[in-house]
Amino acid sequence: MNKLSQWMGTITLACLGSITVPASASDDAKFDDYRSALEDGNPGEFWIDDGEELFYAKAGPKNASLDRCDFGLGPGVLEGAYAQLPRYFADTDKVESLEGRIISCMKNLQGYNDKQIQEQFLDIHYLNAAEEDSRVSPLSQIATFIASKSNGQPFLIQLDHPKEKQAYELGKKTFWNRMGAMDLSCANCHAVKGRVLRGVELPIMTDPHRAGKVMGAFPAYVNKDGNVRTQWWRNERCLLAMRLPWLKTGSPIDTSLILYQVKKAAESKQEIAVPGIKPRA
Amino acid sequence: MINQIRISGYLLAACASLTVTMAHAVDDSKDRGKSVSDAEFMQAVKESFLTENPNDFKRFQDPTLTTCNQTQDQPSPKQASEILQRERSSIQLPKNGQYMGDWKQGKIWVEGAHGGRIGFPGFADADHPSKPNGANCYACHAVDPNFPQNGNMGPSLTNYGKLRGQGAAIVKYTYEKIYNAKSFVPCSLMPRYGAGEGHLLTAEQVADITAFLLHPDSPVNNPKQETVAEAAHH
Ligand code: HEC
Ligand code: HEC
Repeated sequence: MNKLSQWMGTITLACLGSITVPASASDDAKFDDYRSALEDGNPGEFWIDDGEELFYAKAGPKNASLDRCDFGLGPGVLEGAYAQLPRYFADTDKVESLEGRIISCMKNLQGYNDKQIQEQFLDIHYLNAAEEDSRVSPLSQIATFIASKSNGQPFLIQLDHPKEKQAYELGKKTFWNRMGAMDLSCANCHAVKGRVLRGVELPIMTDPHRAGKVMGAFPAYVNKDGNVRTQWWRNERCLLAMRLPWLKTGSPIDTSLILYQVKKAAESKQEIAVPGIKPRA
Repeated sequence: MINQIRISGYLLAACASLTVTMAHAVDDSKDRGKSVSDAEFMQAVKESFLTENPNDFKRFQDPTLTTCNQTQDQPSPKQASEILQRERSSIQLPKNGQYMGDWKQGKIWVEGAHGGRIGFPGFADADHPSKPNGANCYACHAVDPNFPQNGNMGPSLTNYGKLRGQGAAIVKYTYEKIYNAKSFVPCSLMPRYGAGEGHLLTAEQVADITAFLLHPDSPVNNPKQETVAEAAHH
């Protein structure tokens, strides 16, 4: 049963009724109050419960569950696995993000083909990314469940495999490359101290401390659209603003951008605390 | 009450975690992933992005940005003059031949953030091309002092016309700067609004914005209006 749809409406209203969201992020202190006030009743917790049900449920052409999925620490080992993603997987010969790996396991263990993955999981995942029309994506639910199994651990990104090094360099290149109809790079907005965009203070993603705080909060509950959002979603939202085409979940650029930012996060040794809370997109 | 206690517990935990020693940030500003060639990057781009319009991939391969990326925004004098020449040649006048349009329309274009977002079919936040685009100048500039938010990537444009007047040279410069900022500053951070793949504005809109910055009646060139609350306070 989907606990989320049952409870979300009432709980969200009850928790958020008395809290005013500050209009500008320049006042970070206000946000800290806001986040701690929500800490007691993070509606994102429902994604963990629903994700767990989906993860252990039999599904797909092979009528199998995902419980033997190997996230890098062995089949079915979930504790601490997210903290070491993205990483290289020999069976697919690719560096994979959390969502990318879930999709690989859906194919390998549950027998879905590419078309079924697109129609049954990615279409809804992509439409779900809209602020205006936010929906619940099973892929986000499963991702939130797996990620929560690394809570309390810092990211640990080794880049031991040559393909991991390559992906990291691709992420760096993408982050620093000016492109899109705005002529901007991610770095133009996220690597220079003190920049403000239309009243919003921009987080420095090259600063390990800030990256640790940001990346360790995803998947995060975004209050403005009442939905839990993954690292892919965050990158896609900024690429959308740069007027670039649609970023495919689990694609090389998606995985590389995540790896680049998570590597920065790992240097801070900040602990993962999922689902985080974000006041707005 | 219970809430209070839990919250203060959380705050304590948050304070404790601040004492974690901070690792030294690696400075990537010189390297910028240059071991990845432009060809390898484009290959990854083709695999990673979905679009129904193959022209959208031109947004990754603009010749001016390619030079800016390769030189880390420090083009050689020869490259700089190539960029300036190319970008200058993109500039066109509105059909009526006038650099100055309607400042009231300009106000709308300057505030608007709609335009150019490419979605996935059915994605609700993509921008419909049938609606006129905005320029979102407040992302980077302070402009009308009555507008509640602004960014700081570009200089303040408040009082722009009051400070510079409306002489023919300044009118032409302002129009051309908005139409194509890189026709003056080769690797300017400011987008090219009138030129380039996916550019946001028509020549007429650029003229409207030129008027918004320069017209003596425009709020840009007049004192900030008191809000009702501020007036009551006096
Ligand atoms: C035009 C400026 C701009 C560009 C370019 C840009 N971003 Fe952002 N980014 C923002 C804004 C604004 C936010 C929202 C900040 C907030 O809400 O506190 C944001 C948020 C983020 C966040 C989440 C921060 C948080 O606190 O949760 C990440 C991660 C991020 N961007 C990564 C990227 C990446 C990767 C790119 C390049 C693909 C990029 N951004 C390009 C402006 C930009
Ligand atoms: C991504 C940030 C960005 C956006 C968006 C942007 N600008 Fe700029 N703008 C800049 C920067 C940076 C400069 C200074 C460097 C330069 O001159 O190119 C600048 C310079 C200017 C100047 C020249 C100022 C002078 O003193 O000569 C004008 C005029 C201007 N912008 C107008 C606009 C208008 C109008 C818009 C909206 C249509 C706009 N800008 C949008 C970043 C931006």
